[in-house]
Amino acid sequence: MADRRRINGPVGTTNPPIYDDAPEKQSEGVKVARSRPANVIRRMYLKTGVTPSASGSAYLEIESSGNGGSGLKLSCSVHGPRALPRSTPFSPHIILSTHVKFAPFATKQRRGYIRDPIERDLGTHLETALRGSIIADRWPKSGVDIIISIVEGEQDRETSKAQGIEAWDTMNALSGCITVASAALADAGIDCVDTVAGGVAALVQDAGDDAAPSIVVDPIPSEHEKVLAACCIAYLPTRQEVTNLWFKGDLPASDMDVYTQLIEKGIQASKSANRVLVDCLNETVG
Amino acid sequence: MASSQHVLLSPAELAYLHASLSLTPPIRPDGRSPTQFRPLVAETGILPGTNGSARICFADGTEAIVGVKAEVERTRTRHDFPSLDESAEDDDDLDDNQNDVVKGDNDWVEMTVEIPGYRDDDAGTVFLSAMLSEALLADGEFTKRLWINQRFHWKLYLDILLISPPLSYPLPLLSLTTHLALLAARLPRLKSEGDEDPLFDDDWAAAPYLYPRPSEKGSKATAPAPAARPPVTLLVMAVGNNIIFDPSKEELAVADVALAVSVGESSSSTTSTTSSKPTAMDIDTEETKGHNLRLLSVRTIDPPSRLTPPGIPNASNSAYGANAGAKDTEKKKQQQEQARTAESEAVEGVWKAPRGGAKTLVMATMVQKVLEKGGVADEVLDALDGVDLN
Amino acid sequence: MPITILPPKAFRDQPPRHSLNHDSDDVMSDATSDSEDSDSQPGGVSLDGGATIHPRKRHRSGAGAAASSTFTKRPKTNAAINSIPRSAIVTPGERITTDPQWMRGHGTYLSSASLGEQAITSSLAGIVTRTNKLLSVRPLRARYTPEVGDLVVGRIVEVQAKRWRVDVGSTQLAALPLSAINLPGGILRKRTETDELQIRTFFAEGDLVVAEVQQLFQDGGAVLHTRSLKYGKLRNGVFMAVSGTGGGGGVVRSRRQVWTLESANNGGPIDVILGVNGYVWISKHVEPVVPEEAKGQTGITNLEEVVSATMYSSQNDRIEPETMREIARIRGVVTALVENGLRVDEDMVTKGYNEAVELALVSADGPEDVYLGGERGEQLAAALTAV
Repeated sequence: MADRRRINGPVGTTNPPIYDDAPEKQSEGVKVARSRPANVIRRMYLKTGVTPSASGSAYLEIESSGNGGSGLKLSCSVHGPRALPRSTPFSPHIILSTHVKFAPFATKQRRGYIRDPIERDLGTHLETALRGSIIADRWPKSGVDIIISIVEGEQDRETSKAQGIEAWDTMNALSGCITVASAALADAGIDCVDTVAGGVAALVQDAGDDAAPSIVVDPIPSEHEKVLAACCIAYLPTRQEVTNLWFKGDLPASDMDVYTQLIEKGIQASKSANRVLVDCLNETVG
Repeated sequence: MASSQHVLLSPAELAYLHASLSLTPPIRPDGRSPTQFRPLVAETGILPGTNGSARICFADGTEAIVGVKAEVERTRTRHDFPSLDESAEDDDDLDDNQNDVVKGDNDWVEMTVEIPGYRDDDAGTVFLSAMLSEALLADGEFTKRLWINQRFHWKLYLDILLISPPLSYPLPLLSLTTHLALLAARLPRLKSEGDEDPLFDDDWAAAPYLYPRPSEKGSKATAPAPAARPPVTLLVMAVGNNIIFDPSKEELAVADVALAVSVGESSSSTTSTTSSKPTAMDIDTEETKGHNLRLLSVRTIDPPSRLTPPGIPNASNSAYGANAGAKDTEKKKQQQEQARTAESEAVEGVWKAPRGGAKTLVMATMVQKVLEKGGVADEVLDALDGVDLN
Repeated sequence: MPITILPPKAFRDQPPRHSLNHDSDDVMSDATSDSEDSDSQPGGVSLDGGATIHPRKRHRSGAGAAASSTFTKRPKTNAAINSIPRSAIVTPGERITTDPQWMRGHGTYLSSASLGEQAITSSLAGIVTRTNKLLSVRPLRARYTPEVGDLVVGRIVEVQAKRWRVDVGSTQLAALPLSAINLPGGILRKRTETDELQIRTFFAEGDLVVAEVQQLFQDGGAVLHTRSLKYGKLRNGVFMAVSGTGGGGGVVRSRRQVWTLESANNGGPIDVILGVNGYVWISKHVEPVVPEEAKGQTGITNLEEVVSATMYSSQNDRIEPETMREIARIRGVVTALVENGLRVDEDMVTKGYNEAVELALVSADGPEDVYLGGERGEQLAAALTAV
């Protein structure tokens, strides 16, 4: 995935800085435990029409965890529907293109301007989630661009120590992307069968040796000892349909019940986010 | 390559395909049963310059090869991590997961997917490689196999090449080939001890497999426990309530929903680490069974069906015979009304691109079909067992 | 068993095409051995084709050329023509003949040999074929080259202002002008501007058409027409593409490209269209329905009107599951024929279909089993070649 158009710096990696002044007990691995009930998502702020020059836009902010980190801040703009360039072949449907980009300063480790595989992967997931919700044949021969900038990624001061939880953060980011893009699409006046919103649920192992794994919605990975499995779901509440499902983890095959519960919790999280979305859209109209 | 690449099929073809796949039992265009895969030819060890390699091809000429290359790399030490400073007992046995010192890092595996005719940063290619590496790294056990000592590890390069242009969505093909290549992969035997610079045995015959064989394992463990296996990713689609495996390109073009389900098989030793789960009993009962399947990842694949051109019912087709001569406005108005009703109602024999998502029940059944005992994943793993690994 | 994984075969079963080549090797050596003692024979054309197999022949070529230069003065006999083998494999750059009696055809070029002579040299890897005095090389595998009068199945890939661009598996997209289709509502109707505006209602992107090649351009592009009741948009069936013509496999030009097959197991009649370009359409046979009001008045124009009514429909008729099953079976037969390097024509498809029905009877799942992939396809091909 080399950037072919620019001269790049060395490919080697550097260690992100670690600040020594963090409280002593935290550096020893004692984490701030989850204070919310297991089935409640974090509060979020959603506003449409933030970018006047775009056809539609929305801004989403999810409150930060208690660890003094930052919450998720997403800005989405929708351009279109607009005519496709002359060279593109005839399409009986609207052509959807999604771009998800972390701002270079959004995460602890600086990101480049070229979209990396994670961002492209997120874009593909988002496209799948949205394509199910829009009525594509209403807009033949046209295209729409959905551009999401992740202004600030979700992270804690401590995350650099715990390896491998970035992957779970990606799911949270995707769920935010789906919700904010759905709001922006509605703002742009593109026909949708339903409002789609993202939700995340995870099977987590809490600190303490004998704690049984439990399922929580909208997990913050740093609040738990270990995330065993997680899923991100894009759900259409009135049609009761799933447009995108992304499950990841390690579950024994005999455990279909846990899997089903996880999906159900994901749908529940998505429904909660959807309420915020619908309220926000109502406010804009009213 | 994107699964949603433009599939040019006529509405009449799509309507026919959809109708025949919706029957019970579905009639697939190539006559396969719903769970049947296309027959394939597989071999391993085709590339002597690699640590492990495999090749799979279909009868239609679609062919994939995978080469696994390993390099010794110095492990980045992190001074802030106290657990790495304490040099506890040294253990060069890769199989021994009991020791906490054996740690893996996802950076130790690099996977690239090459599809002819597509850029390597094409969204679809990235999606494929993300999907395959996600499954491989999901349980965190794989990277532990690459640990040499405190200071060094193996860096594994997995290069997945599709030789022919993609005639169908290549996910199952690439996944099966990767599986075989990893099974056939061997790393040189370590001769040095502890944290000194690693020194390896020149004798390739003595090199242990990355995934130890059940026979070797059987000598160590008391019971012939099923050995861990690399994951396989299966492509499943649904039309109505029919669940169809290994869909061809045409079949995928009428899918209501398509899922990529990654399944792994863990050895009994890893099962014990997770037995603190509430399902410990289930696992115990399963010990006796052949495969100890684990669900690693599920992803929705955007089916190209949503981008297919819709058919026009005869009632609203202006080029349709009876209406063709109709010039009077009354008839036209009637036509328009019919056209409006046609948008909401499905007319038999007319293709309409699906809207919305999939019912959760259908999705759950799809995963269930893969995982159930004696299900498709079981049989696929059994069949892969039969491949000669040399 | 949902999956069959086979080990690779050390040597793939030689498809009949190859065994044919082995035969032709014999023919070739016969031919060369003929020419070896051909000093007594007139028209001993030097065949370098033999040289690759029998290296000792290589230095004969000069002598052969000299010989041919003497022999051309004589009246040609049948033996001279026969000495050019009917099917010898040549590779690009291989000299076929220096005898000036032959004319250069497709797949060859003229290169200057010694003494200012011109040699016909192959520019393709393929089989030498001759038509009277014309020498040409038929490639083993090639894309379709259109010829006037060919029946082709094509897919619309582009809609332009007054014509469609059709993929027929050739090097160029074929053109189907709006003026070359039957407009709905009677054959005598004049083309209007409305038709131009509504061009997509006749054929849109992705639609399949069966058409005839009307005209060829210099660059190999073809112009199609559908001005017949048997041509037009395809419905009620499945499409498949088999590899291009040449070398024995795939669809070959034959007497009948379109026929109706009476299927077994209550499948009813099924239409098979084998496009010369290797695109195949298998569909339910539908008799044109004559509406009640038109029944009274018979006449050719009326019938045409009725038939053309469904010409641009994209709505499938009702198809019984039995018919779908038999359509899938025929598709499996064609796939098996192609995968085993057999030619695809009416005779082979009909025989193969009957064989497949027999095979299904002995299969575990009974006549409903239409799967013909893998081993079963080979079984089928073996049964067909044995006859």
